Amino acid sequence: MPTVVLLDSSLSMTRPVSVEGSEEFQRKNLAVHGLTMLFEHMATNYRLEFTSLVAFSSLWELLVPFSRDYNTLQEALNNLEDYDKTCLEAALQGVSNVVQQEWGTSCPCQVVLVTDGALGIGRGSLRHSLQTVKQRVDDKKFPLPFPFPSKLYVMCIANAEELQATDSMDNLEQLINLNGGEGQIYTMEGPLCLKSVQSMFGKLIDQAYSPFHAVLRCGNLTSDVQVFPRPEPVTIDEEVDPIPKTVQTDLEIVGFIEIGDISSPPVLSRHLVLPIAVSKEGDEIGTGATDDTEEETSTNQMAGKSPNFCVLLHGSLKVEGMVALVQLGPDWFGMLYSQADSKKKSNLMMSLFDPGSEPLPWLGRMSQLGPASDAAENPYGEDDSKSPFPIQPKHKRSYAQNVTVWIKASGLQTDVQKILRNAKKLPEKTQTFYKELNRLRKAALAFGFWELLKSVAELLERECTLLPDSAHPDAAFQLSHAAQQLKLASSGDSKYAAFEQNITPMLTDFSGGGGADRI
Amino acid sequence: MFSVSHKTAFVVDHCPYMAESSRQLIECDMLTKSRSQGVIPLAPVSKSLWTCAIECSMEYCRILFDVYPTWKLVNYIVSDSEVHILNSWKQEDQNTHELMAALAAVGPPNPRQDPECCSVLHGLVAAVESLCKITEYQHESRTTLMDTADRVANRGRIICLTNAKSDTHVRMLEDCVLETIQEQNKRAAGSDRLMPIQQCELVLVHIYPQGEETLVSDRQKKELSSMLSSEVHSVRAGRYLASKLNVLVQQHFDLASTTITNIPMKPTLNVFEQEEQHANTSANYDVELLHHRDAHMEFIKSGDLHMAGSTSRDSGLKETVTLKWCTPRTNSVELHYCTGAYRISPVDVNSRPSSCLTNFLLNGRSVLLEQPRKSGSKVISHMLSSHGGEIFLHVLNSTRSTLEDPPSISEGCGGRVTDYRITDFGEFMRENRLTPFPDSMIDAAGRTPVERAKSQLERYTRYWPMIISQTTIFNMQAVVPLANLIVKDTLTDEDVLTCQKTVYNLVDMERKSDPLPISTVGSRGKGPKRDEQYRIMWNELETLVKAHVGTSERHQRVLECISACRSKPPEEEERKKRGRKREDKEDKTEKNGKDTEEKGWTTDSERLKGVMEREKDEQSECEIIKDSPDSPEPLNKKPRLATEEQQPPEKSKGPVSLLTLWTNRITQANSRKHQEFAGRLSSVNNKAELYQHLKEENGMDVHENGKATR
Repeated sequence: MPTVVLLDSSLSMTRPVSVEGSEEFQRKNLAVHGLTMLFEHMATNYRLEFTSLVAFSSLWELLVPFSRDYNTLQEALNNLEDYDKTCLEAALQGVSNVVQQEWGTSCPCQVVLVTDGALGIGRGSLRHSLQTVKQRVDDKKFPLPFPFPSKLYVMCIANAEELQATDSMDNLEQLINLNGGEGQIYTMEGPLCLKSVQSMFGKLIDQAYSPFHAVLRCGNLTSDVQVFPRPEPVTIDEEVDPIPKTVQTDLEIVGFIEIGDISSPPVLSRHLVLPIAVSKEGDEIGTGATDDTEEETSTNQMAGKSPNFCVLLHGSLKVEGMVALVQLGPDWFGMLYSQADSKKKSNLMMSLFDPGSEPLPWLGRMSQLGPASDAAENPYGEDDSKSPFPIQPKHKRSYAQNVTVWIKASGLQTDVQKILRNAKKLPEKTQTFYKELNRLRKAALAFGFWELLKSVAELLERECTLLPDSAHPDAAFQLSHAAQQLKLASSGDSKYAAFEQNITPMLTDFSGGGGADRI
Repeated sequence: MFSVSHKTAFVVDHCPYMAESSRQLIECDMLTKSRSQGVIPLAPVSKSLWTCAIECSMEYCRILFDVYPTWKLVNYIVSDSEVHILNSWKQEDQNTHELMAALAAVGPPNPRQDPECCSVLHGLVAAVESLCKITEYQHESRTTLMDTADRVANRGRIICLTNAKSDTHVRMLEDCVLETIQEQNKRAAGSDRLMPIQQCELVLVHIYPQGEETLVSDRQKKELSSMLSSEVHSVRAGRYLASKLNVLVQQHFDLASTTITNIPMKPTLNVFEQEEQHANTSANYDVELLHHRDAHMEFIKSGDLHMAGSTSRDSGLKETVTLKWCTPRTNSVELHYCTGAYRISPVDVNSRPSSCLTNFLLNGRSVLLEQPRKSGSKVISHMLSSHGGEIFLHVLNSTRSTLEDPPSISEGCGGRVTDYRITDFGEFMRENRLTPFPDSMIDAAGRTPVERAKSQLERYTRYWPMIISQTTIFNMQAVVPLANLIVKDTLTDEDVLTCQKTVYNLVDMERKSDPLPISTVGSRGKGPKRDEQYRIMWNELETLVKAHVGTSERHQRVLECISACRSKPPEEEERKKRGRKREDKEDKTEKNGKDTEEKGWTTDSERLKGVMEREKDEQSECEIIKDSPDSPEPLNKKPRLATEEQQPPEKSKGPVSLLTLWTNRITQANSRKHQEFAGRLSSVNNKAELYQHLKEENGMDVHENGKATR
């Protein structure tokens, strides 16, 4: 989930904070301090996150495009200049563009807006934007909700009382509502100082940037892993099942399936599964002190040399072309597989399926998947030539069962011509002739289209009269028999117009028992 | 989940006036003209209003069932002087074949029936009653939700195909539906199998013959009450009606249209037509498909629906997105990053291009689809693929990935280890492949198949060394039969026999001193001697079997067999060993030095143990062979677990060699890295003896080496 930091660099951010200490801070300094803390956290614990930095006042500027280089981000932060007034709408539009250009509209993003809560005055102020939000024409729509899934975190370098004194808080809350309620407003508690800004950003980090640690399990083989980006809770159905489902920290493999059988399944999200060495303290989410790097390196080297289940699993999945089905929670599954990037570096990846008992129709119910060795007969065949997948649905789809559709005249005409074409090749084509005839008969009966039956009967009778002298004598018999049967059916008499009944070839002396399969 | 589209009640008017001709003429005597001159062509046929209504509603259902085989249900009702309910909400009734059969039984309207007693009203009342009936899905949700069962909503839609007299007539029909809903809701409140209707959409389609003026005016959707909304469509029979219902099915079920363009009809693709010979096979065709609109989400959101090559179709109103066919090059299986898969239904299911495309896909090929762009690189955005006879439109991710350039797995934990048992684990994965079981398949212990799969994985991994240098037995072909069987939940007598044979085979190998594939990684020189190797092997085999000994009595027998075959009872060894300790000392310290550099602790200890007991082994070998393996030894002769056998450095009695000093230092350093087992702390020769006090009473110095490992 990439992050955009949207930093207010309007003049109001340079307002000094009234502290009776020795140093005097501007709000901007507090903002920079908080963001520094966030960047440091990411650099140590969340280093695969892409972050970009946008500064805004009445204009906006992309200071750092999406990057994992937190030094560059920090540098840009340190060199921030001061500009004029706050104009949030344009900046949000800018964020929307920046994200869409980089990631499209399906990738979820987090937007961290850092502001002092002075949201501008007059035109371009947030108040003005929100007042006119309903009067927009199509091409000047308010940028929220963002077209991509998003969380909007507003970090206010101000305390709640200050914001509530004006309508700032209301406006910000309205902003979150416009984003479908996706997001949160953070304010500072107590006096504006370094400590309270730290505590505010600490809350953001806990909420949005805490790494997801889990144990990957395959029977008794286990590995401690970090799942990145961390899986977010999912709500299946607001109405019936409004409680969001979360991925449990125990990822249990239930079995294996070949890539061809799982067959490019649709997934909610993809995540890297990175094996981690859990240090003795059990907690490596430390605040990133730099002096223990040396020790860390040696720990890493040690960890690199001790066998890890993830590496074994990855290697075998890659070699065998298989995926591991993994249970993420009650009635929720995903798959683990080896994913190679363009540089041929490969990794263990986990994709999450939709929560529910049957996320992939071609696998059937997940809870009904069991060990192949339990089956009476090996479903994969003794020589691995078969597969129990995909599961066939009970009914065939229309395109797989030769349905009759006469909505376009051409559909009807084609069907009639097929009968006539076969009629001319009787008796060789007796079977096909009756097959097509019965297909037409069934449809005509269902559609109540008796007129067609009469018409086709007449056509067949005429065909009979036009038979050349060289024709096989059986042809004439079959044609008049078929015509007669159609006419009887067109009377609607239940004896002849039963849907499931078929017209069978007439038994003649010439047909040599060809039509002996009379029902 | 239970939106208005969960239940659709079709009400089709079967009154005498529906037998009227639509006046759309269809020539079915076409090609014969050229052949037989002088023959007067037959008069064209024309469909009745009824036929038009039926075939268009069937087309609606066909598309619906193709795209939503479950959850979206249709109840088909025909109304004349009475009500004919052709199917139920049951899932098994949801297919066009059943409906067609039922419609054939109803037949076309009888024009001679008394129009006075016929009305579509009967059908509308029946439709409302039917909407109150609970579906399987609603029932299941209510049952699972229990206390919050009221979250399960009951909404539905009535599509009425009729020929109305006037706008007043339409109003009368609407009023009737509204009244019936109110009545039925009262009834439903007191019933378990009925649910009150919370929301109902009435879609009235007035059908009139071509060439006539309509007596009913179109009307947009309007709320008649909080429960009922109604809209009126006045449509000419024939193709107008068909395209109207096509638009409706798209609106009602959130469908969108994609046109696959540039489909080559090469002879190889041309599976469908064997009879029709088209000379011009190089032509490219277009096929229009319907599917859930989410397959276009990326286009809709980014607002470039038009840029993506969307055009208005001739049917008007709705747009279609054009995607270009990319001829598949290989048949290789690849795991695409796919964000959605949606079932499709071809708009023109029987046309030649459609059936060519669908048959191609049903035969197991997948087709990538490209977004036509005026400039720039080609973007593959979708894929068509069939699974089990159903065709899906897969949405592929075509934007930059946030997971690009991750650290390679070889850079992380365990990444430097090079001798993983990749092939063995691959074999393990094949053995643990999944397969679907019928819904009722629950085993004696009440476990679902997926639970059984997990417990199988647990059994198979009780002893599973991850790297080659950590194991001996899994590198030996001779052990395979036993290793494959012992992990099973149940063993037959025959299985036990096979295991025993494996063991005898190993005994035989040992007697012949066949070399073992023991890893020499990390150790200098040639590695352990032959008899040590066998000790290591036996210990590992025992570890494996011991992990399964609790599974059944037959598993126990396998362990007993190993215990009986491998060596002498431990007590005896112990005694001998003590007597021999001094002689062994030098040998051991030397060994120790070597072993500290080893990685696998299991093998280390085994080797040390091996040295200690080597001689006894040699002595006891003949005895082993004399033993009958079929008669297991008494339980008290069970050998020790492999882990018990860590060798403590000997207490030196003479001057300490430099090697010993060094070794002790290293051992000490290593021991600080882990917490020692309580048992081992107080062990003698790494055997934590039970009932130690008994031995103490016998005057044995239990604590002789007690702290040596710390």
